[in-house]
Amino acid sequence: MYTKKLMEKIKNIIRGHSLFMLHYCTGCGAIELPPTMTSRFDMERLGIAPMATPRQADILLITGYLSAKTLRRVIYTYEQMQSPKWVVGFGSCTINGGIYYDSYSTINELDLYLPVDLYLAGCMPRPEAIINGFERLIEKIENGDADGWKHYKQNREWYKKNQKQALGDSLYTTR
Amino acid sequence: MEQKKVIEKISNEYGIKKIKFKKIENQQFKVKINKKEIINFLTYLKNIGFWQLSLITAVDWIDNNQFEIVYNLVSWELEQHIIVKTFIPRENPRITSIINIWPVAKYYEWDVNEYFGVVFDGNPNNGKELFLENWDDKPPMRKDFDPLNYSKEKFPEKEYKNFRMKRKREVIE
Repeated sequence: MYTKKLMEKIKNIIRGHSLFMLHYCTGCGAIELPPTMTSRFDMERLGIAPMATPRQADILLITGYLSAKTLRRVIYTYEQMQSPKWVVGFGSCTINGGIYYDSYSTINELDLYLPVDLYLAGCMPRPEAIINGFERLIEKIENGDADGWKHYKQNREWYKKNQKQALGDSLYTTR
Repeated sequence: MEQKKVIEKISNEYGIKKIKFKKIENQQFKVKINKKEIINFLTYLKNIGFWQLSLITAVDWIDNNQFEIVYNLVSWELEQHIIVKTFIPRENPRITSIINIWPVAKYYEWDVNEYFGVVFDGNPNNGKELFLENWDDKPPMRKDFDPLNYSKEKFPEKEYKNFRMKRKREVIE
C-alpha cells in the first residue's frame, strides 16, 4: 500500500515534467501561443511542447470561445486522448461566455461539458500569464490535485447529460 | 465609365422609366426594384458587364413586416458597384432563385435560407443545414429571435453557492 502511494507520487512528479500540449485553436486566443512557444518566451524550458495529434498529447488547451459545433469536435478529441489528461480553459470565454454570453451558438461554461483543471482568466491572457498558469498546472499535477480525468470517468453520465442538452441527442453524428 | 453614363445607359436600355438610382459613392450606387423584375434585371446587368456577384444577403425590417433581399454586383470593366434591393413580405417569404444566372448563388441563398428562413424557389438546398447543427428554433438572424433567452436555456451556467468550492471538485449526485 505504502509503495503504491509512493509510486503514484513519483509518477506524478514525472508526469508534471513531460507535458505535451494539444492546442485546439477554437478562438482568438490562439494568437498568444506563437510568442509563448517561440524564442522570446520559450515554453519548452518548462517542459511543455506542442504535439500534433490528440492520442499522444497530455494537455488539451481550449483557446477562446467554443461554438456548439466546435464543442462536438472537442469532445471527440478529448475522448481520444489517453489518460492522464488535463484540460486548460484559456480566456474568459471558457469561464462564463465572455463577450459571447448572449450568442445563440456559443457555450457559456466549459466545465459543464469537460472537466477543466485550470482556467487562465483574461481577454486575452498575455504569454506571461500563460507561463504562470502552466507553472500552477505543473504544481497541481505534482501534488495530485489535477484529477479532472478521473472525475470525467466517475461522473460520465452527468457530463453526457449536459452535452446532450447543448448538442442534441445525437452526440456522435450530426443528424 | 462614369457613374452618370452607366445610370443613363441602364435607364435608357432597360426600359423602365420609374427606376430610381441613388448614389452612395463615386463608384457605388443602389437601386430598388420590384420582386417580379429581379431575374430580368439581374440578367440584363450581367450582360452589360456586372458579371461578378459578390454577395446576397437579407435585412429583416420587422416594423414594416418585410424582408429586404440585397444583391451586390461588381463590374471591373465599368468600375462600378451596384446594390440591387427588393422587398418581400415577412409571412411566407419566397423569391425565385438566381442559380441559373450565377451558380455561386447556391451558397449565398443557402446561407440566407438558413439564417432568415427565406425560401428560394429553384434552389435544391432549401431546408438543409449549412452552418447550424441540430437547430431547433426559429432562424437566428430574425429580429424576433431572442439570443440571450436561447443561450440561457440551452447553455446554462453552474450556480456556485460557495465560490471556494470551485477549487475542489464537488461530488455530483
